Amino acid sequence: MSIMSSYARALAVQNGRAQPVATVRHLHLSATPMVFIPLKLAGEAAAPLAALVGTDPANPRLLVVPQPRNRDLRFAFMAELAEVLLPYIEGLAGVTETVEAKTPYERCADAPQLLVPNRGGIAFTKLLGRSTRFRRTDGPYPVHPSVPVLGQWLTFLSERAEYAGSSALVSMTDALALHWATGQSSMEDANLATQLAWIAPPEGLDGPEAALVAEDPLTSPPAGPETHPDFDGQVLEYAIQAFETSGSAAQVREALRSQLEPTWTLMWQGVRLLRELPEAATVEARWARDRDQFTRETARLAEGGFPRGRVDGAVSAAIRLADLESALQAYEAQRAFDDPLVMIEHRVAGKAFSGEVVAVDATRRIVPAGKTRAAPRPLVTIRTSDPVRLSPGRRLVSSRNRKQRTEIVDITGDLVVIQVNDQMGRGATPAPGSVPEVGDVVCYAELDPSGGQRPRLPAGEDTPWTHGGPPEPYVPTDEDAQEAWS
Amino acid sequence: MEASGIHGFPVGPLIRCGTVELDALEKRIAELRSEIRAAKAAGEHATVRSLRAELRKTERAWDVALEPEPEPAKAPLLPVREQVHQALTLLGVPTATKMIVTVNEAFFAGHIATSQLTSLRRDEEKSFRSSPFARPYYLCAALTSELLSPARGLLAVSTWPMPTRIIGPLSPRADFLTSATRIAEHIMRLTGAGEDASPSAYRLLTRMAQNIPGAVDGFDQADPTQVIAAAGAELAVHEESDASHRDEAARRAERQLNEVRQLFGAGLKTARTA
Amino acid sequence: MTRLDTLRGPAEPLDHNARTIAALAVNPGCDRRALLDAAGVDKQRTATHLGFPAPFGQSPFAITRAKSFDALVKANGCAHLLRLLRSTLDLSISEASYSDISDVGGNDDHQVRHTRTRALLKRAATDGDGAGTLFDHPLLKLTVAGHEVYLEPAVIAFQIEGRFHIVEIKSFAVIDDQADAGQVAAAARQSAVYVHALRALFTAEGLDPGRISHNVVLVCPKDFANHPTATLLDVRQQLAALERQLSRLTRIDRILDELPIGITFDLETQSPDEVGKAVATVGARFAPECLASCEMSLFCRAEARDRESTDVLGRAARDELGGIESIPAVLGLADDSRPPSPEQLEIAEQLRYVRRIYTEAVA
Ligand code: SF4
Repeated sequence: MSIMSSYARALAVQNGRAQPVATVRHLHLSATPMVFIPLKLAGEAAAPLAALVGTDPANPRLLVVPQPRNRDLRFAFMAELAEVLLPYIEGLAGVTETVEAKTPYERCADAPQLLVPNRGGIAFTKLLGRSTRFRRTDGPYPVHPSVPVLGQWLTFLSERAEYAGSSALVSMTDALALHWATGQSSMEDANLATQLAWIAPPEGLDGPEAALVAEDPLTSPPAGPETHPDFDGQVLEYAIQAFETSGSAAQVREALRSQLEPTWTLMWQGVRLLRELPEAATVEARWARDRDQFTRETARLAEGGFPRGRVDGAVSAAIRLADLESALQAYEAQRAFDDPLVMIEHRVAGKAFSGEVVAVDATRRIVPAGKTRAAPRPLVTIRTSDPVRLSPGRRLVSSRNRKQRTEIVDITGDLVVIQVNDQMGRGATPAPGSVPEVGDVVCYAELDPSGGQRPRLPAGEDTPWTHGGPPEPYVPTDEDAQEAWS
Repeated sequence: MEASGIHGFPVGPLIRCGTVELDALEKRIAELRSEIRAAKAAGEHATVRSLRAELRKTERAWDVALEPEPEPAKAPLLPVREQVHQALTLLGVPTATKMIVTVNEAFFAGHIATSQLTSLRRDEEKSFRSSPFARPYYLCAALTSELLSPARGLLAVSTWPMPTRIIGPLSPRADFLTSATRIAEHIMRLTGAGEDASPSAYRLLTRMAQNIPGAVDGFDQADPTQVIAAAGAELAVHEESDASHRDEAARRAERQLNEVRQLFGAGLKTARTA
Repeated sequence: MTRLDTLRGPAEPLDHNARTIAALAVNPGCDRRALLDAAGVDKQRTATHLGFPAPFGQSPFAITRAKSFDALVKANGCAHLLRLLRSTLDLSISEASYSDISDVGGNDDHQVRHTRTRALLKRAATDGDGAGTLFDHPLLKLTVAGHEVYLEPAVIAFQIEGRFHIVEIKSFAVIDDQADAGQVAAAARQSAVYVHALRALFTAEGLDPGRISHNVVLVCPKDFANHPTATLLDVRQQLAALERQLSRLTRIDRILDELPIGITFDLETQSPDEVGKAVATVGARFAPECLASCEMSLFCRAEARDRESTDVLGRAARDELGGIESIPAVLGLADDSRPPSPEQLEIAEQLRYVRRIYTEAVA
């Protein structure tokens, strides 16, 4: 939320249509994304009810649990889901490429991408992972061998979803909100049907009209994971009863299909809209990280890796938080440098500015602090009409060269003077092109696309006793494996 | 003999054949009754006897024909009321219907739907009102100690001493401990007799034990002797105060309430108003 | 007949429950809701009458689940609950008494039950030892906008060593010691209503309201099973918000003073149009959060849309836009077609700037 996106929302109301808040696509979109629309039974923690799932818009697979209170049927559902997801995931693990690095390594050429309708879908995916990853194929409540494997993958994907910029498990409403501002509130944007109505209203309707139509639960059932209470009371309850008395799941299937199919269509409409946008410059690099992680997880599971424990130890939790924070910073910065519309948010906030270079002192040399020899430290003066809220000494990154370090030397009126600190070659004067020239339009921002410094944390085995001492690595227990799921 | 036509009545094939056959049976029953009357009037005792036998047979056939699907042999043929009595006798304290159903399933392989119990107390009350003490026992209410009104959702047996049927503030806990003890004792009786209790009986005991301090270790299956000891220990804490409450209220009930109310409680929710 | 009765018409006033009272605190600035609630108007029916039925409801599955979990916790003389209280609050073994106030000798009249609730709690508070531990379905009263309302008794009051707690049983799961934040917050808001009402009762009885703990015992199913677990929930913050909101509600008189004489929301005698007009005379403050908490929300949203109010964009967006009320005003300031008032100078400059660079970037 910023004044820019709020302005865009106001504009959307006036124009009767969503307004762009991005010029490029900031997430990776797989050639064959797996669309996954899960539904759960209301009132239960993690009782799956149904899912529509698949990579082919014309051919979704419908999975249902005809009596969601029956645990055997639930695990049968999970086994069926595994039949769809595991071949998809494991198939992608098969093709690798060699990454040239200091020590070259193998990386999967592609990785799975799961698209769910909304954040609720991500949270539910995580719960499904949590409720199945500890299960065993023997002992008191045996499950199909594919179930715990699926549990581990769902856990992996929902973990990835916590990292900003990961495209492994994506909520469609979030993805769309990243690119369009509707004329409704961000809270209402969590409704895929109305959000899409604002972005791409059908022929003959404007955004608000289409959104009103899309609010009717009969034409646009909720995108899950909760179903509509009226549907529960008027349709589903009877369908489940019919299953109980007749043993036939036909009614339940039809009822749930009617709730899922409209969302299926919307999901693929969302995919099409996002595909129309050109991919942003850093998307590929971020997707490479998703592929890295996918490659590692594949190897870990191949070695019989244990499921992730219920809770993190103190150190791993701290490391994770730092990683999440750094991923978020990097992502924010990369998006801004990739997309002038996103950069606006930072310009408005005074953390970035754009303008024309009016003077360059390219030959300036000084003795930098802590050094003995003079080195080139050119000064560049930029005239900007942006409301700069930065002070001398702040380190900035330029959109021309995201690796070059610069800092503010002076701000007077609409003139900002910056000093370039590196990336100018080894010569006594800056290499040609390494410093902007008079007349260039440039943009500088106090944003770090590398994600900033990570705090140094002790290794796991050095965890201080104040934090519980070195963590016991998680070892699966009978208790976890046999945990009731009623 | 002249009654051969009667004896030749084809009863067997009629069983479970639908309303047409039911009608035929009913007609036959009516015929038999009038024939019996006639034979009686004529003093033909032998004929009366054989006609009576025939009537009983036909009535049984009618009963069977009425039953759409015979229950599999496994289900005990006790009526619901007796199944409830059996479970309550095991537990020995006023008990909620859900628990009665569970105990009945775990120990007597019986099956009652909770819905079958909803009107039980009211039916018993009606029956008692129409002919008091005609039956050996009634399934009745437990009474709240303060107002002597029927305690919500609990069933008791009329032959129990009054204090047992009183529910004071500590009684829910005390009765829970007592029922856990009784269940443990029953399991021990079964194992002592060389039988074993069902897995669901052990599950029930374990679930109860988990809510009694020291009755079970972690997630293990409960051991009946340990449950008895632990429940006894806690019960000892409540017993005196609970008993004095119950005794006092019981004396009051016996003094103040008529027979019906002693069994079904004072207050508004009696058969007349409910 | 009071003015509030006239407003409601002949319909019976609607009972309050913790949810409706907690919802008051979600949108404290709204006169419309305050007034409708104070008059005991059935907002659900009113909204339907107006052609804007409330956009939410409760699934029968959720209701069944909540009931069965509640029954489980209380089964066998509150066996689960006692275990939890013994382990979380060190309740001593001897404290196990239980009194149910869902009726008084078969009489479930509100007044009778409330009297009994007061008597039992007072005795427990003054007699000390052995005078009661658990009080199920206590019927509490609360003064809302100068009116006394009964609270649906969906909780247990619990005494330990002279201190009283509210026990709230909720059927949402706590998984690996984490629960849905929204649901916990809602539970905390509702519990705060009971804590408040219980304190009011103590005050009225001349007892120290400080004996009611601000720590509520929240009982939920653990992980994916049905096994109950308990957590202490500090509701001080919710209590403060609630108390502030309730004290502000005393301005109902002020709202009434501003209303045209003879106005009524009586659904029997008034057409939808007339009711709509009557409702519209009372000021509202729509926010998208209303969509989850107030039955009138679709009506109010439509009204806000008609007025082209920035409220429809959400509170955050409205704040970003400098609190300017209407969307045309925002856009007018941005494209310079509307002169800013003195206090709008700063936001107008920002908007002009945003418009300029936004237009550049989109082009
Ligand atoms: S929906 Fe309307 S009446 Fe209800 S709180 Fe919001 S603005 Fe007030």
